[in-house]
Amino acid sequence: MTSSLPTDFLGRIIYLITNYGSSFLRGAGVTIAIAVVGTVIGCLIGFVVGITQTIPIHANDSKLKKFLLKIVNAILKIYVEVFRGTPMIVQAMFIYYGALMYLQISMGMWIAAFFIVSINTGAYMAETVRGGIISVDLGQTEGAKAIGMNHFQTMLYVVFPQTLRNIIPQIGNNLIINIKDSSVLSVIGTVELFYAAKQTAGAFYWYFESMTVAMLVYLAMTLITSFLLRKWEKKLDGAASFDLATTDTLAHTSGLLRGPTRRNGGHRHGR
Amino acid sequence: MGDEILRVGHLGKTFGNNVVLRDIDFTVSKGDVTSIIGSSGSGKSTLLRCINLLETPTCGEILYHGVPINGKDVNASEYRTHVGMVFQTFNLFNNLSVLKNCVIGQTKVLKKNKEESIAHAVTYLEKVGMAPYINAKPHQLSGGQKQRVAIARALAMDPEVLLFDEPTSALDPETVGEVLAVMRSLAREGMTMIVVTHEMAFARDVSNHVVFMSEGIICEEGTPKEIFESPKNARTQEFLARFTQN
Ligand SMILES: Nc1ncnc2c1ncn2[C@@H]1O[C@H](COP(=O)(O)OP(=O)(O)OP(=O)(O)O)[C@@H](O)[C@H]1O
Ligand SMILES: [Mg+2]
Repeated sequence: MTSSLPTDFLGRIIYLITNYGSSFLRGAGVTIAIAVVGTVIGCLIGFVVGITQTIPIHANDSKLKKFLLKIVNAILKIYVEVFRGTPMIVQAMFIYYGALMYLQISMGMWIAAFFIVSINTGAYMAETVRGGIISVDLGQTEGAKAIGMNHFQTMLYVVFPQTLRNIIPQIGNNLIINIKDSSVLSVIGTVELFYAAKQTAGAFYWYFESMTVAMLVYLAMTLITSFLLRKWEKKLDGAASFDLATTDTLAHTSGLLRGPTRRNGGHRHGR
Repeated sequence: MGDEILRVGHLGKTFGNNVVLRDIDFTVSKGDVTSIIGSSGSGKSTLLRCINLLETPTCGEILYHGVPINGKDVNASEYRTHVGMVFQTFNLFNNLSVLKNCVIGQTKVLKKNKEESIAHAVTYLEKVGMAPYINAKPHQLSGGQKQRVAIARALAMDPEVLLFDEPTSALDPETVGEVLAVMRSLAREGMTMIVVTHEMAFARDVSNHVVFMSEGIICEEGTPKEIFESPKNARTQEFLARFTQN
């Protein structure tokens, strides 16, 4: 083109950022949107599938219930195995072109992206949720049953909150994976960050420079995400110490109280 | 002996081909404190868990006020609100504070309103000496404290009978006393209790009915005086002799 184009690495990077920065940013926005929406919907799918797979079957349940649960669980198992056992890039082409050629449905960039990332994440999360539910100590369930909770209440108030806390690192992992792996959606024309970087690269044959910018933007997104996730986890864990309720009414009526036992020195006393 | 609450008749339980309980018969009346003693593996926990339907009995029946509760169309959850259970391992809800542990059953199962439930929970937490700890999470408490909260949680449901499965076995020797003290005071107030225990002093001094189990059957039962002072069965004698030795 013109001789005014920079020829050194740094110059080209600066040129790309000043002239194509907005298209990189737009791509990054699409990437984040796909990753977040895909992870959220994927988690919902994973919760539903994982919870369904752990519904207990009792000896005196009706035949119909047993039969239905078996069928549903078989279908869910196939879903999980198929989507965990095949690459997302192939799934993307398979679903996009399958819908286009045989169902005459042109999914459009957003729908296709959300759909593929969601069901993919759902398959992974289903296993995570199932494992998370199983790993909650059986004593928790028995404690809940012993005060008269049914299965639904036990799950909702006791098991599930503990499962959720245990799998947050996995949810975060999936979000980070989705930020990176949504790049494969460029094969079905989703204009996310990688697609934008490739287009820019192609325009000047500056592959290295353009990918350098893409690398930095991806890294910034994943680092910020893991920082925010860790903050969220800390917040969920609550305070490391608790306040003793030493209001007169409480403290003096308790005949057996021997006074607080300090365990890790972290307890704050009084108010 | 009038107000019969629970009657266990010809109860049996097998796990696979392992016969754990055989032909168990006994009754519990209002105000009874029944201690179940016996060596490890004799089926005490299994019996208690059958009574609370955490295990399904293989045969026999359990009558609650004359109504069988181990049939097909019995609402086990509803029944359990009347027959509470305290576990060896406490089983407090790890995700909830001490107060919420004692409130959630009242609001979600009994559908009581929140203020009333909190007041009720605090009453029982005061009773077990844990009211100052309402904001603590279970992992911030000692074993004895956890068990006292677990007792308050069970009491807050206003059960008619309370089952205890070795409530002090997982505790340090120093904290056993605080839990036993709570149980003694419950017995004094007329709470109906069935207690599986290795605390012979508790069985002797607090209960009015002692059941000795061995290898899945009830070998001998009677008043503490009968069992501890003049046991008739050779196995009971042998078992108690081991306790008085050490
Ligand atoms: N879920 C189960 N599956 C198979 N066998 C079991 C199960 N639960 C208990 N048993 C068996 O039943 C027998 C009685 O166990 P149980 O726990 O009732 O004894 P226990 O009298 O409470 O003993 P301990 O004093 O040690 O608590 C044991 O042989 C045990 O192995
Ligand atoms: Mg036991």
